[in-house]
Amino acid sequence: MKNNSLDAGFIAKIFGLALFLYLFLGFMVLPCLNTLTSIFTTKNASGNIDPFAVIKFFMAGTMPLFVWNSLKLAVCLVITVNIVGISIVLLTEYFDIKGANILRMGYMTTLIYSGVALVTGYQFLYDSNGMMTTWLSQIFPTMNKQWFSGFNAVLFTMTFACTSNHALFLRNAIRGIDYNTVEAARNLGASPFKVLFKVVMPTLLPTLFSLTVMTFITGLCAMSAPTLLGYNSINPEIVRLAGSSAADESFPQARAALLSVILAMFTVILLSVLNHYERKGHYLSVSKTKAKLVKQKIVNPAWNIFAHFYAYLLFVIYMTPVVMIILFSFQNYPAIRSKMLNFSDWTFVNYFGTQNYEYMTSRGRLRTRVGSISGVFSNSDAVGGIRLSFIMSAIAAALACVIVVLAVSYIFKHKNKARAIVTESCLLFPWLLPTILICYSFRIFFNREVWYVFGQNLYWRENVRFLIIMAYTVTKLPFALRMIKAAFYAIDDELEEAAKNLGASPVYTFLRVKLPIILPSVLAVFALNFNALFTEYDMGATFQSSYGKTYAMIIQNMTMEEGREGYNINASGRRCASTVFIMIVSGIILYLVYGVGARDLGERLEARKKWKRRWARLTGKRI
Amino acid sequence: MIRLNNIFVKFGDFEALKDINIHVKEGEFFTFLGPSGCGKTTTLRTITGFIEPSGGTVLMKGNDITHVPIEKRNIGIVFQSYALFPTMTVYDNIAFGLKIKKLPKPEIDSKVREIASKVDLSSEQLEKAVSQLSGGQQQRVAIARALVTNPAIICMDEPLSNLDAKLRVQLRNELKRMQRDFGITAIYVTHDQEEALTLSDRIAVFNKGVIEQIGTPNDIYNFSKTEFVANFIGDINKLKPEISESLNLPKNQNHFIRLERIRVEREKNLGFEGVIESQEYYGLYIKYYIKVGEQILKVIEKNDGVNIYNPGENVSVIINPSDIMSYDITEG
Repeated sequence: MKNNSLDAGFIAKIFGLALFLYLFLGFMVLPCLNTLTSIFTTKNASGNIDPFAVIKFFMAGTMPLFVWNSLKLAVCLVITVNIVGISIVLLTEYFDIKGANILRMGYMTTLIYSGVALVTGYQFLYDSNGMMTTWLSQIFPTMNKQWFSGFNAVLFTMTFACTSNHALFLRNAIRGIDYNTVEAARNLGASPFKVLFKVVMPTLLPTLFSLTVMTFITGLCAMSAPTLLGYNSINPEIVRLAGSSAADESFPQARAALLSVILAMFTVILLSVLNHYERKGHYLSVSKTKAKLVKQKIVNPAWNIFAHFYAYLLFVIYMTPVVMIILFSFQNYPAIRSKMLNFSDWTFVNYFGTQNYEYMTSRGRLRTRVGSISGVFSNSDAVGGIRLSFIMSAIAAALACVIVVLAVSYIFKHKNKARAIVTESCLLFPWLLPTILICYSFRIFFNREVWYVFGQNLYWRENVRFLIIMAYTVTKLPFALRMIKAAFYAIDDELEEAAKNLGASPVYTFLRVKLPIILPSVLAVFALNFNALFTEYDMGATFQSSYGKTYAMIIQNMTMEEGREGYNINASGRRCASTVFIMIVSGIILYLVYGVGARDLGERLEARKKWKRRWARLTGKRI
Repeated sequence: MIRLNNIFVKFGDFEALKDINIHVKEGEFFTFLGPSGCGKTTTLRTITGFIEPSGGTVLMKGNDITHVPIEKRNIGIVFQSYALFPTMTVYDNIAFGLKIKKLPKPEIDSKVREIASKVDLSSEQLEKAVSQLSGGQQQRVAIARALVTNPAIICMDEPLSNLDAKLRVQLRNELKRMQRDFGITAIYVTHDQEEALTLSDRIAVFNKGVIEQIGTPNDIYNFSKTEFVANFIGDINKLKPEISESLNLPKNQNHFIRLERIRVEREKNLGFEGVIESQEYYGLYIKYYIKVGEQILKVIEKNDGVNIYNPGENVSVIINPSDIMSYDITEG
């Protein structure tokens, strides 16, 4: 009996190891290696392999412009995101600003409204026909109506898209400050601004440094904003080249590979710098009795008025797209077309049902397009995109969690041993590579029959969905690892020993003791990954396949189809409704993760009791 | 009940336990006492089966259990952190071991409720999450969970170390009461000498992987076998040659005397002449630091509210040679 179970365990181990190696080598190393080698195995004009052909072409052509543009965006983004990010944290957490709670909610809206939804939302308001631009041009007739395009538009949009996460981390850092240090500085004669710059800001520096590096990488790897708003940076160019053929231009695939490797090099260098800096450690409060930060009143009336004005101006910038998109999602086509709210006519047609569209031709005839106005949930394309994204995101998010839970369990079992370090490094590998490199590599490498995937071409027809799921899974592994590993650290070793002492087998202990402890974190990781993937744009755009049209790609199509040319008349309304739908989904997920999911068993039992009491009061029954 | 014969435990090159021999009797409250890293927890983990010794045998009721798996040893454990499963209710925590034994549900229920009532846990508390209980209540759950499977002995690894001072005193009394009520053999690990002295029937004092002395609290305190035990248990004065020579004590030994064995009198010429250097007021007693020649002696006097000495006061310090504990001077 014992031998059988030993054999079973050994077989399971070998199977697990083989599967892990298959996934790591087959879906991480080989495709990326193929991309790297394609750069140096390109044939030149005379048909000979020239290892430097692409590089020579790169240096001589316009390609450095894309790198320069990406670097310019990254540098500018670091400046603007830090200015806005630090401002909103100081305004809501450090200074005493009236209405700080409402302001905070406004500033955090981009958490539920991000990616392609945010970019198209901003476009809806600020492009040349946008409501805000129209309104502003009425006030300032000389203003350039095309201001919201190219670099300006990308920087503006990404600044506000990136500050929510920035502020989230910075807020935790500022809340960790020991207020006694502020009081001590004041007691020693420092002015409020001296305290801010000499005591508070230095403690935030390590967090700010990490955020700056991450923002820089975000800027460098920007995809949806440059693509939709028209800015020639690296990622959109890679996607363009990946879809191009050698008949159209010189070695497009190898150039795309080179660009993605350049991006990877930047990422690796920056992450190494970050890692080195983080290893040096953060400023930790040495206080054993830390006092909670008390908000500082701005004594100078002029500064106080300016701070309030600035805070509410930012609030308006954050809230306007959200409010307008919600309102316009309930407006009919003429209102959306004219960008004028019609308060007497509200409709659900952007969500459900279809309508005929009647219009007058240039010859004065009345024509009807039957059912051409359709809501997001009545439009087969939109529903198909939602369904596909939902299924692929759910599978990938679940797969990433399962792989990481099993791997972390193994890592903890063999703590400090070489095999644990190797396993962890393998899972962190995708963190070093830009998403675009992974997806591009997948697209090129699997766009042929590959022996180890049963001789299939994974880029062919419906197979691409499997490829997208694998890409989703691979790119979400590092985040899942970091979060789930932290959850495993919370398991007291004595719990396992107690279970063992009471007779529980390792499997029973894992399922009944350890898994319930880490489950809230695992579910949170699943939900956050699902949330990010559900409206994910970059990967969907890189794979560019009519068989893998994700929700974000459908939204992008709606933007393209919009009424400027008039051939799909209610795409705008449907897009507004789509954005509201995304906000609701993201809002629910964040509530479940940080609201319900953060409760321990005691809090859950209390909540259950409260609901029982309410129910009893309603029904008049005794409990 | 439990017998450890010539136990050796090695971690790599490091010898954690060297030739440990212990016999714990049935129904006894036996304590392993010693400083951090002395081997007391390693010994306990050898008994419970978490560590397999590199030499020696562990016997329980005469049976060799050295290589018996943890879950088959029938030993209840109360962990330092209590190790209560945070995702389960109190009831499920206590029932955990019974469920693994696949007992019928009604039997599990009756056993859980019976043990809960014995450790003063109410039915309402059984339905709570462990995080909703106080430290003392959590300890009771840990004891109930360890005892519900009817183990032959219960092992406790510093179960009071995470509590505040007041609660520790209160809970150690409860612990002793429960052990007596259940009539179970208990092995207790602590580095707190006061806890060991108040709780135990017998104590084993550990130092650097060896046992220095096994005995009753009185043996350990008043008849410390080694200099380490004398120093580790309670407070003590090491006499300088100036005093020991005047008492005609052997020169090749170190001489110690407990604080409460020294008498202080205002009357002159009754013993050594001393001057009160300082005092520490503890309420029930007062601790004096008295300068006798080159030595500062610590002395405890009962606080009777009358005979209180002030710093700078000249006193007689009386030392009875029979109260002195002497140990051979060892090299190093």
